[in-house]
Amino acid sequence: MSELGMIIDIIEGTTYAMTPLVLAAVGEIFNERAGIVNIGLEGIMLLSGFMAVVAAEATLNPLVGVLAGIATGAFIGLIHGYITAYLKGDHIISGLGINLFALGGVAFGIEAVWGVRGYHTPPDAAKVPDIPVVNISPIFIAMILIAIGTHYLLYRTSMGLKVRAVGENPEAADVVGVNVERVQLLATIYGAALTGLAGAFLSIDWLTAITKELPAGRGFIALALVNFANWSPLLALGGGLLFGFFWTLGEWIKNMAAVKAVIPVTLMNTIPYIATLAVVAGLIGKSRPPRYVGRPYKRE
Amino acid sequence: MNDIIVQMKNIVKVYPDGTVALRGVDLEVRRGEIHGLLGENGAGKTTLMKILSGLLRPTSGEIYIAGKRVHFKSASEALKHGIGMVHQHLALVPAFTAYENIILGLPSREASRKKIEKLMEETGLKVPLDALVEDLPFGVRQRIEIIKMLYRNVDILILDEPTTNLTPIETRELFHTLKELKKRGKTIIFITHKLREVLEVTDRITVLRRGRVVGRTETAKATPEMLAKMMVGREVVMKIEKKPAKPGEPVLIVKDLWVKNDLGEWAVKGLSFAVYSGEIFGIAGVEGNGQTELVEAITGLRRVEKGQVILMGKDVTNKSPGELYRLGLSHIPEDRHKLGLVLDMTVSENSILGIHRLKKFLGSLLNLKWGVIDRHARDIIERFEIVAPGTKAPARSLSGGNQQKLVVGRELSKSPRVIVAAQPTRGLDVAATEYIRKLLIKMRDEGKAVLLVSADLDEILQLSDRMAVMYEGEFMGIAKPEELTEERIGLMMGGYKMEQISSKTSPQPVESR
Amino acid sequence: MPGSRFWIVLKEELGRLAEILIAVLVGFVIAGILMWLGGYDPIAAYIAMFEFSFSDPYYLATTLSFAAPIMLTAITFAVGVRAGLFNIGAEGQLYMGALGAVIVASWALPGPLYLPLAIIVGSLMGAVWGLAAGLLKVYREVNEVVSTIMLNWIAFWVVEYARVYIYPNPIDASKTISMPPAGRLPILIKGTELSASLIVSLVFVGIAFYLLWYMVLGYEIRATGLNPSAARYGGINPKKAMLWAFIIGGIASGLAGVCEIAGRPPSYAITTGLSNLMGLGFDGITVSLLGANHPFGIIPAAIFIGALYSGARGMQIVTGVPLEMVKAVQGIIIIALAVPGIIRLIRSKIRRGGVKVV
Repeated sequence: MSELGMIIDIIEGTTYAMTPLVLAAVGEIFNERAGIVNIGLEGIMLLSGFMAVVAAEATLNPLVGVLAGIATGAFIGLIHGYITAYLKGDHIISGLGINLFALGGVAFGIEAVWGVRGYHTPPDAAKVPDIPVVNISPIFIAMILIAIGTHYLLYRTSMGLKVRAVGENPEAADVVGVNVERVQLLATIYGAALTGLAGAFLSIDWLTAITKELPAGRGFIALALVNFANWSPLLALGGGLLFGFFWTLGEWIKNMAAVKAVIPVTLMNTIPYIATLAVVAGLIGKSRPPRYVGRPYKRE
Repeated sequence: MNDIIVQMKNIVKVYPDGTVALRGVDLEVRRGEIHGLLGENGAGKTTLMKILSGLLRPTSGEIYIAGKRVHFKSASEALKHGIGMVHQHLALVPAFTAYENIILGLPSREASRKKIEKLMEETGLKVPLDALVEDLPFGVRQRIEIIKMLYRNVDILILDEPTTNLTPIETRELFHTLKELKKRGKTIIFITHKLREVLEVTDRITVLRRGRVVGRTETAKATPEMLAKMMVGREVVMKIEKKPAKPGEPVLIVKDLWVKNDLGEWAVKGLSFAVYSGEIFGIAGVEGNGQTELVEAITGLRRVEKGQVILMGKDVTNKSPGELYRLGLSHIPEDRHKLGLVLDMTVSENSILGIHRLKKFLGSLLNLKWGVIDRHARDIIERFEIVAPGTKAPARSLSGGNQQKLVVGRELSKSPRVIVAAQPTRGLDVAATEYIRKLLIKMRDEGKAVLLVSADLDEILQLSDRMAVMYEGEFMGIAKPEELTEERIGLMMGGYKMEQISSKTSPQPVESR
Repeated sequence: MPGSRFWIVLKEELGRLAEILIAVLVGFVIAGILMWLGGYDPIAAYIAMFEFSFSDPYYLATTLSFAAPIMLTAITFAVGVRAGLFNIGAEGQLYMGALGAVIVASWALPGPLYLPLAIIVGSLMGAVWGLAAGLLKVYREVNEVVSTIMLNWIAFWVVEYARVYIYPNPIDASKTISMPPAGRLPILIKGTELSASLIVSLVFVGIAFYLLWYMVLGYEIRATGLNPSAARYGGINPKKAMLWAFIIGGIASGLAGVCEIAGRPPSYAITTGLSNLMGLGFDGITVSLLGANHPFGIIPAAIFIGALYSGARGMQIVTGVPLEMVKAVQGIIIIALAVPGIIRLIRSKIRRGGVKVV
């Protein structure tokens, strides 16, 4: 392979690897800015990925699949947001439940829908087509626009001001008439919908397959990216580029014949996770979460 | 033309835990005046104003704004009626800019930078609109809060102890602003315990004490002495028998102590004092004047920035609570729910908190000998007359008084040489209060040194052999209680130094720092 | 008067039990709807599930054999919660424990040494894996939810690597070398999968209970979890208490991994893709939450989840409903458990004819 080919390969790979991470991280940043933690990203990706395949395959229309993924995410966001914002439930436990439910539900679903165990590949007609010539996914372009748009929404609109105020000091927002719970619920729905898009991207675009290991920890890496990006959507875009680049580079290196001979692929698969840990461990004191994140707001 | 803009009639407030905060308060505020609401801690000032601003609902009573009956369900509703309250802890988002804080919650078409700038111009309240609130000093933050209220067309502005965290210069600026606002027809309610301030800035004054109105006056006719007496005026005082103290060695010495609060501001400013064995040294003062930080610094829970703490002759500055305990220090903390107890643990478990590694409680496997511990807990229950369903009941199931007795009992069971007691009877009924006070005297008579910090002046006067009054991180004076009149204590609590009061000339306000 | 407050507390405890039961019910109902949507007969499925979990000694033994490892992984989560932590790393710690047992199995040793050494090495490796998350938490302020999941994945690939490259079974490529018969835990009921790993698990649950409520370390861990400020006031170092909670949790899951190698027929080894280990760590979270994070609550909860798995086998045979349904049920139960005061909510809904939230 030529060197130019290699570079193009890595760039292309990076655009794919970063897309789900950034989408989920930007979504999570939005709801964490409103004070709601959702550690169920992994589960949402999985469920949305599954529903996207089901819908896209049934209609042979990838757009329907993408919308189904988004809707699935939004629906789970609705449940999680209602439990945490209105019922003052535990953010972490609810998220754990989402993850576990997804693991079982999707494995069940794959067998219930296709009668196979564990693995299904949708037909080509259900796959999101690349943008011709450049070979880039349209969802990659959407991801960039969403990250920038979300940034604008958070920092340049009165809605964004409300969202951030609710996560920083809900009492101050409450006093000036902001409906704290409603803002939190809507933010959680939005965040989960973006994660749903990430799931659809994985299943009917990039990997074009559905298994119960579809997200492979990406939901949690996105959580780490949230921290790395210091709760800023634009930084998440930049951080995602970095994470995605190293992920792709790792994939590329581990498949190099020279490396393969010395270190097997299986062992090299640990790289993204080790890198994530190293990055998060190096962040100490450098990032600041929203002040009121993860705590139920109860008015006196 | 009705010039009474706020009328509160027979307001009663009972909190869910049974505490009676207001016992039928009437308040009238005239349009365009600065009205002082004066009182000690627990007088009910803040509760009354939280009711007026919609944060709390009264148990009973009526509120009229400009003659119309209102029922506020939330602070934002009161805000719509033109009532805004500036709290001691400001309702600002620290990570936002001043501008963002001011326009928070408004639809974008109502957010006009120009209008805010014009408002600042007109009122003289200047703030850097694009600076982050967390980077600004407290005085500026307060101005932001006031602008936020004015921008929402607030007519009645309530300020809760607004000068607590201000420098003298900032205080002067604030007063200037308030007078300016008054000229523009705004009504201001000013909550304070500081006599000098209430005299300087208000038109009329209502004095509260223990949930009742005890006096109303035109400011022009008031003197600091008269207000001090009203504010702290004693009702029937519990009499507690007390032998004369026989002080021995100084066992707790504090030298030029400097401590910061959570906001990183100086809360204790160079305090020096000594507590002798066999005496109770009381620290009086309105809360928030650095007492909490002082106690935490002495007991190893907060960093000492400068200065020394010497316990039993050893320098223990910045030592851990465990080490201090081993040297003979006991700490009855002011917040028994946050520090003193683990509420979800049992009485037995709580009875050993801090002494749980004592040899007598441990078996050979580093196991806890519950037999011994239960006996220890039962001992405390009996000795301190605690009403508890049993040693296995969670501490949460005890009443407030019994919880406190459990803390006190545990701390005294450590056979300490020095006892630091912070607000030891807060929220307790009469019987439990009396019990704990007698106990502290008994400890003193047994030769222990007691440092008593309390916002309850009765308590300080009854128990202390020597006392100090703390104000903005400093002592206004140290004296024997019998040398001080109520009036003089009131003046010291309000920020006058003892030397100034003693002189015949009229009191001069202190300038701190 | 004092008694009345005590009764209030007792009533709260009973209320919690009722809440757990309601959550379980919600889980079954929603899972039933999903089965129905998937084209299965939920009623027949549940009947099959019950029959295949408790109806005869064989199924009961299977139920208990499934309950054993998840009791241990539940202890990992429970000890974490007691220290105020969300340690969801049981999965990876269990993989490492299993690897530890396989390593010992690869050694040439006198027969009686295999089991004790496997237990020591396996629990140590689990403990190290737990401690890693603990150190990251205490010294680098890394959220334990993220770190434990990353460590789970790292453990997965490391163990998978070891399975393929270091300890492959010379006869059967789908698994590692097996624990030699001398190192295996005895089977308790002939012809079933139930081995003495159940006893090991019960003993360890007992130890965890003793540690938490009868030892000074457990006291410090619980005080830290319930009220870290009061713990500090009481001379306890909350960081140290948290590290110990991670270590103890790691030992529990490591031991679970050892038990799967030394005590589960027929393979007595790690199988392809860690398929015989996968999910046992996450099951522990459900078990712990269902058991109110208390060792003695964990035992019945583990038997309940074990019964679900055992019954799910029957369900699969009789009605064709995939085994994984059990995980979905668990997920819904946990989500329902996240709602505080579910009973009060239902009551107010009945009274006011709609869910009203204050």
